[in-house]
Amino acid sequence: METKNINIPTMSGLKARTAKDKKYLFDLVIQEAWAGLRAEASRGYLGVLWWVIEPVMYMSIFYTVFAHLMHRGDENYVMFLLTGLITWKWFQATVNTGASSLMNNAGLMNLVYVPKIIFPLTNIAVNTFKFFIILALFLTFLLFSRVPLSPVWLLLPVLVAAQLLLIVALTCLLAALMPFFPDLRVILDNLLLMLFFLSGIFFDISQLPASIRQYLVLNPMAALIDMFRALLIKGLPPDWQPLMLVVLLSLLILTVALRLLRRFDRVYPKIIY
Amino acid sequence: MPHPTTDHHPSKILSLKNVGLYYSRRQRFLRRTRYWALRDVSFDLYAGETLGVIGRNGVGKSTLLRVLAGILAPDIGHVHILRQEMRISLISLGAGFVPYLTGRENAILSAMLLGATKNEVHERMKAIVDFSELNGFFDEPVNTYSTGMRARLGFSVAYHVDPDVILLDEVLGVGDQAFRKKSTDAMKKRIQSDKTVVIVSHSAPLLREMCNRLVWIEDGRTRAQGDVGDVLDAYVQSTASGK
Repeated sequence: METKNINIPTMSGLKARTAKDKKYLFDLVIQEAWAGLRAEASRGYLGVLWWVIEPVMYMSIFYTVFAHLMHRGDENYVMFLLTGLITWKWFQATVNTGASSLMNNAGLMNLVYVPKIIFPLTNIAVNTFKFFIILALFLTFLLFSRVPLSPVWLLLPVLVAAQLLLIVALTCLLAALMPFFPDLRVILDNLLLMLFFLSGIFFDISQLPASIRQYLVLNPMAALIDMFRALLIKGLPPDWQPLMLVVLLSLLILTVALRLLRRFDRVYPKIIY
Repeated sequence: MPHPTTDHHPSKILSLKNVGLYYSRRQRFLRRTRYWALRDVSFDLYAGETLGVIGRNGVGKSTLLRVLAGILAPDIGHVHILRQEMRISLISLGAGFVPYLTGRENAILSAMLLGATKNEVHERMKAIVDFSELNGFFDEPVNTYSTGMRARLGFSVAYHVDPDVILLDEVLGVGDQAFRKKSTDAMKKRIQSDKTVVIVSHSAPLLREMCNRLVWIEDGRTRAQGDVGDVLDAYVQSTASGK
């Protein structure tokens, strides 16, 4: 009977050494994510339907306010706005809840050893699953609205992967830091609010003067949203340079995050209780 | 030297050397103090033995178990693990259960958290169900369970995941009478087998009955270790004299 290698307490912190260990971690994240989704789905009367209704509600509100109340809207504005909203929502929901993922699991981490990275990863898996549902619906909506299906759409997974990398990096970093600086919670809430307005969800970044635009595109989400729009609505492939910069930035942040999570892997249960 | 009462070759599987651990507690504004739960703990653990840990109430003993389980890393000193591929698990009863999920789903989750692979869980699922005596309730959401049922499920999972080293934190007295007897017997059987067990308890009779050796922790330090009888006598004497 084979036993798991992963539970040996070593002084050097945890590394998922073998392929077997990695598979175990992967299985665990999937199992936990599935449990989280099932738990959500059995709440209330509408359960699983909320995964569709909630984003639809969210998007309708913005559309009503901007297209009708503020008279910004032409038909294209709907696509424009919604592309920004669904990609932003994925980013914001994951980073916001994922940042607290370690803090929320005080009980579990004090009962059994798990590599702490499990917690943000599970959170990311749950939110990304929900995003895929909305994305599928949105793509269907686009096709029905006579937006041309272009072969450029094959590059969509590239953009999704880039945003996923960014999300994973930021979520892991924030989750790793939050136990040491709980004040980050408040700072993060407001930072995300600020980014929400600065990410070009309501306005087109490319229409702004260069002097302002150069600062706005420093925000990776603004750059990504612009690329999503260019791809889905105008049928243009993404600009490789800013895309590579986003990926590079994400990898940098991820490296720091992983170091922190490993270094403090057996310290977190002490400070989160 | 202590002798474990099995006919296995007595070999060290784990060794704590001068282990110390503190918790940071915020006192006033920007001032933090360190509370040393463990200061200088040293002892060895041998394969197949049942080691008891006794000491007065305080954070030290639970912290020690967490260090052994690999949950916490000591701030000073070392934990030397001398065997590869060892599962060292704290037995806890149903904490970490997700209320909306069924017993079965929680069993899978718990088992995996304790280190079992998906395949291992599926292989042992029938045994887990049977031992827990939950029958039909096994596929009902866990928030419909009584505390006793939750305990039975938790125990059944932990028992069947079968870690190499079992860490018990005074857990044997949970559940109703019948199950308590069953779990105690099951535990005793496991204990008398080749499993290595570390038990933390206040109950001197329990420790005297189940353990080969005993470690006495006082003020975060190893006060004594050795034969159960000797250490217990010393402990009882010291508490009686109102130390």
